[in-house]
Amino acid sequence: MNDNENWEEEEEEEEDLEFSRNYFLAKELTSSVKKSKHKITDIDVVDEQELREASLHIQPKHEKEIAVLIDSYAAVYPEWLLSLRCGFALLMYGFGSKKALIEDFASKTLTEYSVVVINGYLQTINLKQVLIALAELLCDQVKAKRKVSGRQPSSTQSIEDLLTLLYEVEVEDSDSFVCVVIHNIDGPGLRDSETQQYLARLASCTHIRIVASIDHVNAPLFWDKNMAHTQFNWCWHHVPTFSPYKIEGMFYPLILAHGSASQSVKTAAIVLQSLTPNAQSVFKVLAEYQISHPDEGMPISDLYSVCRERFLVSSQVTLNSHLTEFKDHELVKTKRHSDGQDCLHIPLTTEALQKVLLEIS
Amino acid sequence: MAPSSPSNTASQLSSTATENDLQPFFVLHKASPRRKDRTSAGQGKSRKRNKLSPRLPHSAKKQEESTDEECDRYLCQQQQIEAFDIVWTKIESTIKDVLRELNASVFNIIQKWVQECFNTTRLVGEPSISVATRSFPVLSNTTPGKLYSALVVTRNIEFVDDIMTFEELGIFLKSHGCHVAMLSSMEFSLKNGIAGCLKALLREFLGNSFDPADISALASWYREQENYNKPLVLIVNDLERCCGSVLTEFILMLSEWVIKVPIFLIFGVATTVDAPRNIFPSHALECFCPSMFMLVTPAERMDAIVEAILVKHCTTFNIGHKVAQLLRNYFINQDGTVTSFIRALKVACLLHFSMEPLSLIQGRILVEDQEGSSGLSPETLLKCMHELPSHARNIMVDQTNESMAEGLSELVTVQKLWSTVVLCLYEAGKYSRVQLLDLFCESLNHVLYPSRDSVMSDEKDHGLSSTNDPFQQYSIMQSGGLICQIARRVRDLPPGKLDQLIESWDKITADISEIHEKLKILQSSVRCQDGKSSRRSSKDINKRCDKDSRMSNLQAIAFLDDLVRNYLRPIEGMPFNEIFCFKNVEKLQSVLIGDPRRRIQVDLLEFHNILCCSCCNKSGKGLLPSRHDSSIMYSLAQEHGDLINLHDWFQSFRTIVLQNTNKRKQKSKQTPLSKKRKEMNGSADQNEASIQARFCRGITELQITGLVRMPSKRRPDFVQRIAFGI
Repeated sequence: MNDNENWEEEEEEEEDLEFSRNYFLAKELTSSVKKSKHKITDIDVVDEQELREASLHIQPKHEKEIAVLIDSYAAVYPEWLLSLRCGFALLMYGFGSKKALIEDFASKTLTEYSVVVINGYLQTINLKQVLIALAELLCDQVKAKRKVSGRQPSSTQSIEDLLTLLYEVEVEDSDSFVCVVIHNIDGPGLRDSETQQYLARLASCTHIRIVASIDHVNAPLFWDKNMAHTQFNWCWHHVPTFSPYKIEGMFYPLILAHGSASQSVKTAAIVLQSLTPNAQSVFKVLAEYQISHPDEGMPISDLYSVCRERFLVSSQVTLNSHLTEFKDHELVKTKRHSDGQDCLHIPLTTEALQKVLLEIS
Repeated sequence: MAPSSPSNTASQLSSTATENDLQPFFVLHKASPRRKDRTSAGQGKSRKRNKLSPRLPHSAKKQEESTDEECDRYLCQQQQIEAFDIVWTKIESTIKDVLRELNASVFNIIQKWVQECFNTTRLVGEPSISVATRSFPVLSNTTPGKLYSALVVTRNIEFVDDIMTFEELGIFLKSHGCHVAMLSSMEFSLKNGIAGCLKALLREFLGNSFDPADISALASWYREQENYNKPLVLIVNDLERCCGSVLTEFILMLSEWVIKVPIFLIFGVATTVDAPRNIFPSHALECFCPSMFMLVTPAERMDAIVEAILVKHCTTFNIGHKVAQLLRNYFINQDGTVTSFIRALKVACLLHFSMEPLSLIQGRILVEDQEGSSGLSPETLLKCMHELPSHARNIMVDQTNESMAEGLSELVTVQKLWSTVVLCLYEAGKYSRVQLLDLFCESLNHVLYPSRDSVMSDEKDHGLSSTNDPFQQYSIMQSGGLICQIARRVRDLPPGKLDQLIESWDKITADISEIHEKLKILQSSVRCQDGKSSRRSSKDINKRCDKDSRMSNLQAIAFLDDLVRNYLRPIEGMPFNEIFCFKNVEKLQSVLIGDPRRRIQVDLLEFHNILCCSCCNKSGKGLLPSRHDSSIMYSLAQEHGDLINLHDWFQSFRTIVLQNTNKRKQKSKQTPLSKKRKEMNGSADQNEASIQARFCRGITELQITGLVRMPSKRRPDFVQRIAFGI
């Protein structure tokens, strides 16, 4: 046995070595091979609109095989259900979107339990709202059984109180739970450690079961041992689907679409909305000028005089402070005009600019 | 739970984004009216069906069959859950008892300490009612607010193992008339601040939250009749993880109030006793009056748990050698927490019941066992087997039944003998600090078992003349490994300790007559040796005594050797062991330890193996355009260093993707070159857009999996690789 162990240990060590070797080899490769000088702009990118259009109509590959693969998972649905009923949580991982698979499992197998789905791939998720909904569902179940009204969850309660409420709800039937499906528990809206702590505490409630999916290779780093072993109590399942990440990938910019319009409109609007009304108005002046004179920038002196007329700024200093703010957020750039004058211009297309104006007005 | 056809799921999966997909959350469905009495309904239905079925039309019959099947599956799962519940509840409660017993002495000492501190504080002087009900602290000059505090050293850097211990401590102290509050390091965070801590403290003691939190509320609560005269204890189980400044402020506040609110602190310390010195500034340290207590080490806990669950077998559930090795390696190399070890056992238990249909009788056996007689009679087993659904369906010949029941009961006997031997070895191993977990793993190795036998016979054939050392005649001394190590230690044990050891063996083997008889022989012969040596005159005492004691040791070894050879038979190799013994190590490993970092990369690189598609398998290692786009891209990424030039990456992707269309065109239409080029140009625009879109999507997908990082401002033309090697 000892030999065997030693051998295993050696193998592990070997693996470790292999890993670091790979890393340094990769590093070396960068320094030894001359770094490629090609620029992304060298690619002859098609029109952005066309690119977006094309990305919506990508021909799927291996549809048949993928369908067979996904269907093969239906055979283990009872096993998953058993794990849930015995108090474990399910964690699905593997390449490909697992959204449809998990929802299919939930709607076919978990019919006797209420199921709430959290779309973790979205940018923002209000966990409190989720907790309220869960508490309401659980309370409904209790009420249906006992015909007595208990404490009611409400939005005035803190997350802390809601979790306590969920933790303490007494349901007579031990096999009664609400299943919480969390697509991408490693998604951007759930990624901070506080949310993960709350989710872990939610998972440790007696009448809550979690079915979650992860896609990021480093997702397990979110959880310390207490969270992973006692609170979440994961059963791992490797279920690659190779289905496209259609919805999950919706919020990632297309890498070849430079300054993608929708993205910059959104960011510009967010920045502007956080500024004072006066600053917004200054930006409007500039934007209107650019829309009416698309090819040339606006000289600073012109901007100053217009702003003064409209009582937006009282001095050059105030205007400059606004402009610095714009420049910091890359809303405005300076160009030198052919006659040597410094001109201001907004690095957005006319359409995008109009959208921004609409957003902030 | 209707059976699904491939097209069914596939069509669902391909449906486009609905409104629900963009909701942060939504209710998929509410619980359907309960099946509660589905079992009985199902049974009733099946009975009815028997009567009515001939008249039913075909389709209805089919439907009924499927619902019947569903009912069967449901019933089966119900039984699995019951069996799991019974077995695991038993294991869990045993573990709790074991841990409680281990901690009992420390808990008692801590409780006494609390009581003593409480008495001392009261000696300082109780405040009069008028003073005590004032809403500001009482400070007496003699003791400027000394806080009695206990540092409980966990001797374990993993705090997760001790959460339970401190909870138990809390319950223990409560049952001894203390008010107990438990706060974790989460409460003592900068974000929470002092107000948050106080709020949590009040919630723990008073049961409801106050806004704004004020410690005078605690003081007035404490003055109430039923609360008074009991010490207040605050347990913080992980001192090192608390935010120092918040905790300091909190401590200073408590020390001001200590006379009105006699509160005692219990800190869990994972590192060293110096920990408070690293956390608190000196003026806060002055407030403390610390005492120190030690918990048992994780290794001791582990041994106690292994002994109760896996060696003494509180249930019939058992694990195979490879599974034991996995658990051991996981504990030693990866996780190191008792919690995860217990969890791994729980998962093993779940998988056992879910995968081995016959295992279900374990639950029944346990229930029967608790109800009356101890030990398993063949009758009990037979009865349980009769109740198995699988049995009801296909009735076996009576004879087979009986022989099977006998086989099962032999299994149980062998297991009992095995545990006794392991316990005897462990008792001997305590002199050489052998961990039970290691010994357990070695004892389960059934490959070792026949080899021992053959070695023995070889030895006997050769005769003992080849060696002068009489100990060498025993195979146990030669086998290598832990058991051999233990035997060597027994060989060298001084007489006093040997006697102790034999006495402890006496206790262990008391119930097992087979072994106990052998022990009696050993005891009598050892006693005989002792008698001889005591009668001898003091002259030659040293020499003789030494020889005699060596004789005793020799006999002890012979006894051990006999045990190991005859009784250390793991049940894994025996018939029917599958019912009790969980052996599926691969499954356990995959459910227990997810390895997304490796597996997701393998998914991408060996895509064709998982999908079992014929087209991508064909030409060995070359990248075929029919592969999944992200798979092609990730394979290409392997050729780059830690930075990937987007332009180059795109070009190579494009080449691979276009490779097929070129070939196909060459083959299908043997047109002149010019015409072909023309054609290609015709669809080129569209092609180009779609290739670029596919490239973009590939990058997005790799980004979602975290395998590449997006270009930074400094390096707009490169993405960064995150993973190197699988």
